Amino acid sequence: MEFEFLIDNILKRISLEKKEDRFIITDAEKIYEADIRFTSPNVVSILIDGNSYQVYYAKDKEKQYIFFEGLQFLVQEPLESGEEFQEGEEKSKEDELKVTAPMPGKVIQINVSEKERVRKNQTLAIVEAMKMENEIKSSIDGRVKKVLVSVGELVDSEKPLIELEP
Amino acid sequence: MIKKILVANRGEIAVRIIKACQEMAIPTVAVYSEVDRGSLHVQMADEAVNIGPAPAIESYLNMDRIIQVALQKGAEAIHPGYGFLAENAEFARRCEKANVVFIGPNSKALELVGDKVRSRQTMKKAEVLIIPGMKRIPTDYSEYEIEAQRIGYPVMIKASAGGGGKGMRIVQSPKELKSSLEAGKREAKSAFGDESVYLEKYIEEPRHVEFQVLADNYGNIVHLFERECSIQRRHQKIVEETPSQALDSTLRAKMGETAKKVMKVSGYNNAGTVEFLLDRNKEFYFLEVNARLQVEHPVTELTTGVDLVHQQILIASGEKLPFEQGKLQQNGHSIECRIYAEDPHNNFLPSSGKVLFLKEPKGPGVRHDCGIYSGCDVPIYYDPILAKLIVWAENRELACQKMINALNDYVILGIQTTIDFLKDVISHSQFKAGKTTTSFIKMFFDKWKGKEKTEEKQKLAMLAAAFVNYNKTYTKKSGVGPQEEIFSPWQSLGRWHLGGKK
Repeated sequence: MEFEFLIDNILKRISLEKKEDRFIITDAEKIYEADIRFTSPNVVSILIDGNSYQVYYAKDKEKQYIFFEGLQFLVQEPLESGEEFQEGEEKSKEDELKVTAPMPGKVIQINVSEKERVRKNQTLAIVEAMKMENEIKSSIDGRVKKVLVSVGELVDSEKPLIELEP
Repeated sequence: MIKKILVANRGEIAVRIIKACQEMAIPTVAVYSEVDRGSLHVQMADEAVNIGPAPAIESYLNMDRIIQVALQKGAEAIHPGYGFLAENAEFARRCEKANVVFIGPNSKALELVGDKVRSRQTMKKAEVLIIPGMKRIPTDYSEYEIEAQRIGYPVMIKASAGGGGKGMRIVQSPKELKSSLEAGKREAKSAFGDESVYLEKYIEEPRHVEFQVLADNYGNIVHLFERECSIQRRHQKIVEETPSQALDSTLRAKMGETAKKVMKVSGYNNAGTVEFLLDRNKEFYFLEVNARLQVEHPVTELTTGVDLVHQQILIASGEKLPFEQGKLQQNGHSIECRIYAEDPHNNFLPSSGKVLFLKEPKGPGVRHDCGIYSGCDVPIYYDPILAKLIVWAENRELACQKMINALNDYVILGIQTTIDFLKDVISHSQFKAGKTTTSFIKMFFDKWKGKEKTEEKQKLAMLAAAFVNYNKTYTKKSGVGPQEEIFSPWQSLGRWHLGGKK
């Protein structure tokens, strides 16, 4: 059966079947057999073709992390609007004109006001987290349509701060 | 001996201090902000008191409240750790006034060395070589402009009250000066509550070499050799080691004696660090005194066998230093990596949130000073340092290998950390060769990219994800060990899209 995941925001598929105590992974070119088992909390052991992988996992709400060999993967279920982006393609930015903070933090400065013209790479606002200031820059030459936050506000990484228009 | 200690800090350093107190059978009082109720230091201390809202200015920097708690709880002494109030002379003074022992230097010495402008004047008088820079904090912008011209670009903006890279910026040309000053002042203000910044000559490609000093209340001073902290990002140390590859025994002795002289003329007591910049020609300039326990103190502990926090407490209790300079020796090699909650794959943006899983590295010669645990929250309000990984081995080569192995054995899930990045730093041929300067990261890691996630690895990740999610749900329903279950995901995999293309 086929599974769909968002791996690091990229839509991926995998085909898996269970055969006795093994899993069969069917690839375009190849068929793998995997022996997987839980070993301790947050750890599974995987043997594929005699190669051993110690895989760590943890989950928080919709976000799941898978880690092995120094690589961390963010695994999520596909969005309901999964049709919007194609397999293997990076999640297209829904709206380039919505300026968001790159990480959760506190708005400590807003440098522009509504209707103001802005240039590409101009600093629009400053968001601080863990005592580091991060300048939020404009991705386009355009105009400020709306300022959606105020100084002192706590923002997460998804909340739009400012709306631009070309 | 001090009978009870209030630890005025959070995170790994609060934990480190509490452990030292436990070893000395001294009860501890933790203080915490509203978002730190679940923090490790709160759980480990004997007593814990909420001192206010999340922003540091209202909690960990609230001097009166902290002293009040110390008095209420009968704590005779306050250990400030590093950061927050550690180098705040006003706080040390208020402690003295309230008859609470401040575990650190006396307020006068703290005021002198903590004020980087005044301390430079003192050092100049004592004929300790310093880097050309400003003599005072200017009152207006034009003075900065004139001074920057006099010193010559590039110049460095530094926070008068600070350290740890906060408020620090390099200015390459006059046109960047104004905006850099503004940003530097803002950062200084939010980190230390003091926006004073000054300028000094920026020396290119130097090594950062500092000396650990211990001074008791009776004028006895020893140094515990150097730490090299050249590996820095955004002027923030990320890897420290001792011994430094740049020193021979003559230079080491000379720098060590200079460090002791610096502390002597400053009237310093307790533990402190004298920072130098060492240039290509082995000329060394006094930078500043870090009047506190340093983040990187463990590498000194592992190579000298001296517990610096124990010594701080003993000195503050009025004990004499138990050793003379001649009795101290460096043994083997130690390296520390700072583990930050920053995403090295995304411009080192701070990464807050829940730590879903932590696996601590272990083994002979591996030390992990840690402020987090599986399930804890990392708030946005404080320093991004999560933990420190420190190794000791007979020589540098083995220490590097041990560090790489320990980093490989280290897992933090849920937030992004610098573990990956550090692995590549320690593995770098120039690092292994000991060719470390403060521009190392900029030179070799500016365009760093992590290991590639190949198709094959992604498949493996999906396989694990499918297995884990399926079994979790199934186990709940059946209550039987997951390994024995039949792979029948139809009932439990509703949340995953099945059958591929729609």
